[in-house]
This record gives sequence, structure tokens and C-alpha cells, in this order.
Amino acid sequence: MNIAGLSDFTGNASDEAPKCECGSAATVSVGLCVSCLLRCGLRAEAATEESFAEALRQIEIRDSDWQLGNYQILEEIGRGGMGVIYRARQRHSGRIVALKRVLSYHSDSHETLTRFRREAEAAASLDHANILPIYEVAMGEDGLPFFSMKFAPGGSLLPARTTYRARPRQAVQLLAKVARAIEHAHTAGILHRDLKPGNILLDARGEPLVSDFGLAKWLDATSDLTRTMTVFGTPGYIAPEQVRSPAEMLTAAVDVYSLGAILFELLSGRPPFVAEHAIAVIHQAAEKQAPRLRSVAPALSRDLETICARCLERDPRARYQSAGVLAEDLERWLEDRPISVRPVCAPVRLWRWSRRNRRLAVACAACVLLGAVAALRQLQSWHLESAVRKAVLAAHSIAVLPFLNLDTGEMANDMTARLGKALRAELPALGPAKIVELPIPSAKWTGTGNVDEIRIAAGQADTRAVLSGTVRHSGRGVRLSIHLFRETGDDTLGQWLLDVGAIEELPQALRRPGGIAALLYRALDARTHAQKGASNTDAAMVDDVARGYFNAGRALLDRRTIPDMDRAINCFEEAVRAAPASVAARSYLALAYLGRNFLTANPAHMERAFAVANQALALDSHNPAPHRALCSLYTSTGQFEQALEHGLLALEAGDPSERALGQIAFVWKELGHPEKAIRWFGKAKLSERQPADYDALLGDCWMLLTEDDQAREAYRAAANFHPDLPEGWLGLCHLQLLNGDFAGARMLFRQRAGEYQAFHTVKPLLAQIEFFSRNFAEAERLYREIRDADPRGVGLEQYGAISSASALARLKFATGDLVSGNQLLKQCLASDQAQVRVSPHNAEVLYRLSADEAIQGNVAMSLQFLRNSIAAGWLDYRSTRLDPRFDQVAANPEFQKLLSELAAQVAGLRTALTSRSPKGENENSAR
Amino acid sequence: MNANAALKGDRQNGFVTTRWSVVLSCGSPEERGSAALAELCRIYWRPIFAFICRRGYSVTDAQDLTQDFFLMVIEGNLLQLADPCRGRFRSLLLKAMQNFLIDSHAWRKAQKRGGKIQFVCWNEWMAEAPSQLSIHTREAESWPAEKIYDVRWAATVVERALHRLGEECESRGRRRMFSVLSKYLAAERSDVSYVAIGNDLGVSADAIKRLLHRLRDRYRAILREEVLQTVESAAEVDEEIRYLCAVLATEEPPHAQ
Repeated sequence: MNIAGLSDFTGNASDEAPKCECGSAATVSVGLCVSCLLRCGLRAEAATEESFAEALRQIEIRDSDWQLGNYQILEEIGRGGMGVIYRARQRHSGRIVALKRVLSYHSDSHETLTRFRREAEAAASLDHANILPIYEVAMGEDGLPFFSMKFAPGGSLLPARTTYRARPRQAVQLLAKVARAIEHAHTAGILHRDLKPGNILLDARGEPLVSDFGLAKWLDATSDLTRTMTVFGTPGYIAPEQVRSPAEMLTAAVDVYSLGAILFELLSGRPPFVAEHAIAVIHQAAEKQAPRLRSVAPALSRDLETICARCLERDPRARYQSAGVLAEDLERWLEDRPISVRPVCAPVRLWRWSRRNRRLAVACAACVLLGAVAALRQLQSWHLESAVRKAVLAAHSIAVLPFLNLDTGEMANDMTARLGKALRAELPALGPAKIVELPIPSAKWTGTGNVDEIRIAAGQADTRAVLSGTVRHSGRGVRLSIHLFRETGDDTLGQWLLDVGAIEELPQALRRPGGIAALLYRALDARTHAQKGASNTDAAMVDDVARGYFNAGRALLDRRTIPDMDRAINCFEEAVRAAPASVAARSYLALAYLGRNFLTANPAHMERAFAVANQALALDSHNPAPHRALCSLYTSTGQFEQALEHGLLALEAGDPSERALGQIAFVWKELGHPEKAIRWFGKAKLSERQPADYDALLGDCWMLLTEDDQAREAYRAAANFHPDLPEGWLGLCHLQLLNGDFAGARMLFRQRAGEYQAFHTVKPLLAQIEFFSRNFAEAERLYREIRDADPRGVGLEQYGAISSASALARLKFATGDLVSGNQLLKQCLASDQAQVRVSPHNAEVLYRLSADEAIQGNVAMSLQFLRNSIAAGWLDYRSTRLDPRFDQVAANPEFQKLLSELAAQVAGLRTALTSRSPKGENENSAR
Repeated sequence: MNANAALKGDRQNGFVTTRWSVVLSCGSPEERGSAALAELCRIYWRPIFAFICRRGYSVTDAQDLTQDFFLMVIEGNLLQLADPCRGRFRSLLLKAMQNFLIDSHAWRKAQKRGGKIQFVCWNEWMAEAPSQLSIHTREAESWPAEKIYDVRWAATVVERALHRLGEECESRGRRRMFSVLSKYLAAERSDVSYVAIGNDLGVSADAIKRLLHRLRDRYRAILREEVLQTVESAAEVDEEIRYLCAVLATEEPPHAQ
């Protein structure tokens, strides 16, 4: 984003912009003078839309070659050696995208095209806030592939790079984000290979979006070294080894080098190497050490100089080990903490020493690698012995983190001390080891061991591994799930379940022969061998075809239309066919069937969903994916106890995603514990992908607790941050409705109904508004439409547990059409009774049965079901009071008493929640 | 858009109703008036944003303040905050903006809301109709915020007209033609090589000449329509265009009407 706010693009002020002959200094688009364009308007001639259309009709210039696949090209926005970039509009959705098209190839063989496609698809699978998303990889009619991606309205960093010189903090902030994005891609096995300011785009808020992962070589003629510097662009960003080594030999270090070069330029205003032409620059980079940052910009801090120098080391092995470690150092600098690398060249000296004493260094490394204490004795030098001991010790260093108590959703701090003590007693018997206990290391701590948390913890404790996990009470005692992570957070070294009768028995359980302590030490040894098990790679990720289908399916899952969901199902079915051993493909297939059933109910879909989820579970019961799928499936069938169990099993199996936390939260809400749900949602929010991902659901929890102000705030956040989804707005409408403000609810609904017509949750709410406000004719029309669209749908409505059939039954009775009313009611009873057999403790089903009975005037039965429903967790008494289905029992004193007691119960829950918050649990309050 | 449809209907009945005259005639935020106002604000958010930036706010703070300002405007407080004698939309919006920034609570309120409420969907709007205003560095650095506002306003008017013209061409399958010919909209006739353009597009030089002529005529009509939407009557269009031209031409901004 530009600084002066003049233009959307960064280069709004330019020294080169020539003045127009008219004297004006402002231009738009391709150098058109604003003043001249305005003055055109003062002339008399003008053409109407119709006469202009006629003129266009007469000319034979058609847009056929300005359409690519499903896109209408709007304008060319860039051109490289081999490719061209357009701003384009996706025809059916109207979405504006950037479109990249390859114009020519080094080779036009089929194999090359396939490779391009595969690499583009791999890049498309990257999902990170600071990586420019690729939407689609497709083939044009000319047989040449093209791909569409997010249009970054802020342009690229190229014209803006000079503006960062005066703002080193912003430069470092920006680069830390870019480094995190690069780290994410490296973890997925994708190198960028051509990082430079032109490939870092900016969104409307100036947030960086890295583009062209692994694709640069297809789009830029960077191999042409004979060009002059101006044509070549900025060769100073390429690591020296990139010029001489084949692409297959390159490592993450090439991107680390480029990051350093960009940082150098942002901070100092010039790239590290400057010369007449490309070859001279490359030569310099290969021959000379990069200049020290402060020789160019003396005012900058020494730490920044050290960071740059470390990135720009000529030897790739001497650079930062990963983009993540670089990011961390940048973050440390931003937080005024000491950075991890030192300007004193101890590591470099050691490295140089090892080059001179290669054999000794190999022996030394062998000791480190094997953890073989015996090898120590063979070494004569005391200094070396000490160095090796330190290395072995460092390799076996663990930070022990608080465990997540699955019973309460809170951190079990006492576990840290207990486990730390036990390990300290046990591990030294096995070899050198260092144990560091850490309390909650950061405010945004979820306790599920996601990548960021692990990395922060390892950094704080300065250890190579991090131990975390969960604890909960089970029938026979206490169950611990223990996870050992590599310090980078992206790799699990080991994972164990431990059942003990009581927590006091922990030391004995660790000590047992072949017990956790031994397994743990062995896992740390394996870590030093760098034997990263290939076993945790899913089969669908190994097979090219399966991976392609799998990634395509995942992208489709996020959309919510029937055709997309059908396509997602097909993709996952194909992925399962190509990789039958894939647990992930089966788990996602189950979710796709579930999603399909959600759009129009069909028992066959649910049957298949459960079947494939259970197959996945049978393939690997320690994998979180099938548990997550089953949690979702049981949630949708209303079997919440089972759903909760699988959700917790997913966490125990090491699911680090916030989605798992969100699911557990949702289940607690359905079990009638919105106060617990709020706590778990709070945890999920700590690492949500986009702001307000969970706020609509949080709003529902606050709504159930009758904390309407909190609910409104949450719904508003959901509506504002996710304007493409109706949930927040529906919640606000529903809140008006619950407060008996029918006119207000209706007005709010109408304001935005047009935007969300495609969502099936929208119409039921309007129907409910009309139903509750006793506008029966309109309600009947709406419910009939809903029923016609989805005859088997029974639970699609968002609020109030009102199926279209039961509402229609009530309305038929109102008009005296007893035959139709009874018929509908019979259907309701049949379906609800069938469901209550499956999930006898489902509050919503019991509530529906209570309503069914109330419609018929069976007061006693209705009250009994209502009582059962409340016992199972029904809380929404405000809805019950307004619901016309309960008209026949409304006057009953027992009914009134039940609802008053329920209101008191809700007030109790509310107090329980608010009285807990002041304890300083930041996760308690979501905002 | 609803406001557009309403306006079109009026025009067919023989009235020239501008969005701004709709806003003015309402006084209170009645449905149709506020829709027209919202539409105007959606078009002219960039001058406001540039003004706030020039006042020294960071980009993110300026974005939040812009959101807040427009929410206040849409909620119907524009007329109370601005000069009661009314005037053109441009000057009224500027006055309201100045008052808004002077109001010491505005900033705190915006911070309290944390910029959560969104009127402007930055990414989407900027993607749909990106602006590429470029100004000579020396000028950009020396101009006061009011002048930045007017220049940005002028640029918005012409970019909006270009955008609409492009859409008209696209709806008739002639987007490519537009992208080639629009470069010559303001060029002197002698500076245009009709032969070269004709070769590029695969039609005769004569056809290009005729087409460019029609394109200019249509552009002119659209530009005037756009300006008309921000003033009270058709009689004021020329005056508004001249004012904006004068802003771009002089070192010192002329006095706002």
C-alpha cells in the first residue's frame, strides 16, 4: 500500500512521471493525463449508449482471444520473458483475479507441459496468509496452461522498496512475514528459487503476499545471463550456488539468501551487490563476502547487520538453517530480545576449523549423531570432549510444556512440574539430557502443539525438542497423551498414550522397561540421526495422481454448493482409488459426503460417510484425521457423546489444528454447555485462520446464555469479517426475533437477504420470523417452499429446532385442515422417534418430540419430552416461549414453571462463566 | 445496483435525477436517499482516504478512519456535520471529513471499534476498479491535504468514467478494442497512428479513426454523467469540471465553491 494514499499501487509518486504538455503532473492508467481527460468532458459532442453500441457492432474486433477458459481478460498488467499477466474476471462468479499465461517454452513437449502443470498445482496447494493463493490451474484452447490467482491490489514491493529505508521496523515486520510464508512452503517441499521484491505482492492493507512459488523459472528468462542489468532485472537476489548447481541440488538455503538480499535492500536502499551487468553481479556474489549492512547504512542496529550477513553467507551451510529460524530472529529483534546468531564468528570459526580438520570433525559429528557417550573417551582433547558433551546434551534437551486438560479445556500446569520432575529422575540414567520446564510461554497459547507454539517454546527454553500433550480422566484413572516435537514444530518425534491409575503413579509408569522414558530417549537419538520417518506421510501425498485429486477436493470442500460438493466427492473417491492406503483421502471423503448431505439430506450419503470414516480409522486408529471426521459425522447425527469422544481422541492423536478445538466447542454447546463451549472456542480463536472464524458460533453461545450484548458483538464481527457468509447476519436477525422485535428482525433480514439467496439456511429464518410473529399465511408459503426444495431435510434450520414439516403441521391445524396436519405430524413423529432411538440424549430431537406432542394437544407427553430435553441440554427458553407449536401447553402452570426454572438455570451458567473470567484466563473471553 | 435502477427509471420519465440531488432532497436517511449516498461514497472513498493519509495517519489507521467516516455518513449525519447551506457533494464531503477529524472523539471511537466495522471492502473494490494515479514526486510532496483531496477526486472521476466505458465495451465483446484504443482518448489526432493500431487489431485505419471518434464521444457522455451525479443539476457540470481542471493546472488551489 502506498504511503500517501494517492494510488492503490505503491509507486504513486514518481520522479520519472513526465508532465503533460498542459502542465498537469497527474496521470492515470497508461500515462493518460487527468487534466486532459477531464477537459474532454467540456466539448459538446457526446454519444448515447445506443449509438455507441451500434458503432461497436459494426467493427470486427472481437474478444475471442481476450477470453481464457472461464475468464474475461480486462487488461494486461505485466509481461515477463516468457509469460504475460492479466487482470481478469471469472465469468460466472464475477471475481477479479490475476491470470498468468505462459507464452512459450524451452521445450514444447508434452512432458514439459505436464511438469509445469504439476508444479503449478503443487504451488496451488500452499495455504498460508502470506502466500498469494492460486485458484485454478487450467489449459487454454491453444493447449498452453495458465493459472489464475488472487489479484493483489497493492502491486508489488518493487516500486515500494525504497520507502522502507526510513522505516526499518516495518521492513523487518514485512520480511518476518515473508520468511514465515517461505518456511511454510519449504515444509511442503516447495522452494521458491526466485525471491525478489517483484515477486512479493501487497494486499490492500499492505500485507505481503509471496507469489510464483517454483514457477519463476517458467515465467522469467532468468537463465539468460547475457542480458544487461536493466533487462535482467535484479540478479543480486539469487544465491551464488544457484548459478552453478543444477536445480535438483538446490536447498532451502537459496531462498534464505534471497530473503537476506531483500532485507538488505529494504534497510539500506540498495541490493548487496551492484554492478554493470548481471554477470558481474553474479561474479561478485560468488567471489566476495557481501558488504556489511552498516557500511552502507551506518545508523542501523548491529543485530540487523548480523542477520543480513548470516543470510548472505556464500556457503549455503553457513546461512540460517531455515527460513523459520530467520523469521524467528527477525521477530526477536522486533520484540527487543537477543537474536540467536552472534556477530562474533564462533560458528564460522568452528566451521572453518572443521574444514581444515575434516577427519576429526567427522568423528566429532559421529558422536553427536549417534549419541554415543563411549566415543567421547576416544577423543584426546579436553576442549573437544567438552564440545561434544555439550552437543549431545543439546541434542537431548527437552522443554516440558503444560498439558491441556481435556476435561476442562484449561491448562494443567501441575502436570509440567510432575512430568519434568519424573523425566529429570529417569532420563540421565539413559544418557546426557537436559529438561526445562516452561509455564505457558505466550498469550496466544492453545496447548495443542501447533507449529508456532512449539517453535516459540523451543526458542524460549533453547531446547531441541518440546514435550506437550493432553490429560483427562478416563474410566480407569488418568489418560495422558504425550507428544514429542522437533523444535521447528513441524515434525513429531514420538507420540505415546499412557494410562495410569492415578497421576501419582506417573514416575513408575515412565520407568517401566520399555516405558515412555526409554522410548523418549530413543526418539531423541533418532532425531539426531535426522531420521525423519517417512511413515507419517499419507499415501495420498506420495502418489502424484492421488495428491492432485486430494488437493483439488480440499479446495472444493470450502465452497458450499451442491455441484462443488459433488465434484469434491468425485475427487476424493479418485484419490482413494489411486491411493487405497490413504487415511487422509478417506477421512476427507467422509467429510465431503457429510457436506453433501447437509445441502440435501440423503441417508445413502451418510451411510457412505460413516463407512469410509470407519475404514480410515481401521487403517490407522492413531491418526487424528478419521477421529475428526467421525466427530463431525456424529455431530451431524446428533450423537454428541460419541462426537465429543472422537474430538478428544483427535486431540490426543496430536491434531494441532484449531478446527479440532472448534469442533469440541460446538459439541459442548449442543450438549447444553455454552459456557464450556465459549472456553473452547476461545482456544480455537487463538489460532484461527482468519479473524472471527468462530464468532458466529460464539454468538450462538452468548445467545443461549442470554448475554445479548456479547452475542451481538460476536455476530457483528462474523458479519463484518465474513461478509460472504450469512451466519453473523442471521444471528443478529435471530436475536431481534428472540426479543420479540418481529418488525426489527424482518427489516434486518430484508436488508441483506438478497446477498445470501444461495444459502439454504437463510429462508428458514425468515419462515421462523413469520411463524413466531404469527403471520401464518406467509409462514406457510415459506415453509412449503423449503419443504419442496428439500423434502427429506429435517434439521437444516439454524435455530429453534423447527422442521418445516412440524411448522406446516401446526399451520394446517390453525386453518382447520386436520387431515393434512395429522399426516405431516405423523411424518414428524416417525422421523423424530427414529432419531431419538439413535441418539436418546439429543436435546434437540427430544424438544422436537415435545413440540410434536404439543401440536396435538398431548400436554402430559409434551411436558415429559420437554423435561427430558432440558435434562439433555436444551437451553433456548426464549424460543420456546415464542414458538406457536407450544400454544396448546402455554397456559399450563407446569410448562411455565419448567421455563422459569430453565431461565434460572441459564442465569446460573452465566454466573459460572463470568465468575471464572477474572482468573486471568485470556482464552476465556474470546474478545 | 438499486440506486442505479431507481435513477434510470427517473431519467426515463424525463427527469434528470442525480444521486446527489436524491441525497439532498431527502435530508433524512430514507431508504432511497441513503442508497444513493452509499453508492456515491463507494465511488469516492479514495479522496477521503488520501486526505487522511496526508494528515499523517498510518495506512491502517487511515483505513479504519475512512471506514468510520463513511459509516457516519451513511448513518445520516453528513448533513448535520456539514455546512447547512449545502453545496456540491465534493465540497460537502470534504467539510464533513474535516469536521470528523477535528472531533477529538472520532479517533478514539474508531480505535475502540478496532476498525471492525467495514464499509469499504478494500481488496474487492481495489481489485474491481484499481486506481493507478501517478503524480510527480515534487508536487505530491508539497501539496496540502486539500489539494491532494481535489486531485484524487479528479482522478476518481476520470477513472470511474474509463471504468464504465471499459465495461460497456466488454458487455459487447470489445474489451480488447477498449484496452488498445483507450490509450488515445485524450491524444491529439496528429499523435495517433491509425495504421499501426489498425494493424495491431486487424482492421483498417479508417475504421480505427471512426471508432476512436465514437469512443471519445461516448467517454465524454459518461464523464459528464459521472460529474452530474455529484452536483445538483446539469447546469453545474461544466463549472465542476472547470474547477477540477483548475486544481490540476495551478500551484495554488482555487477557492472551493
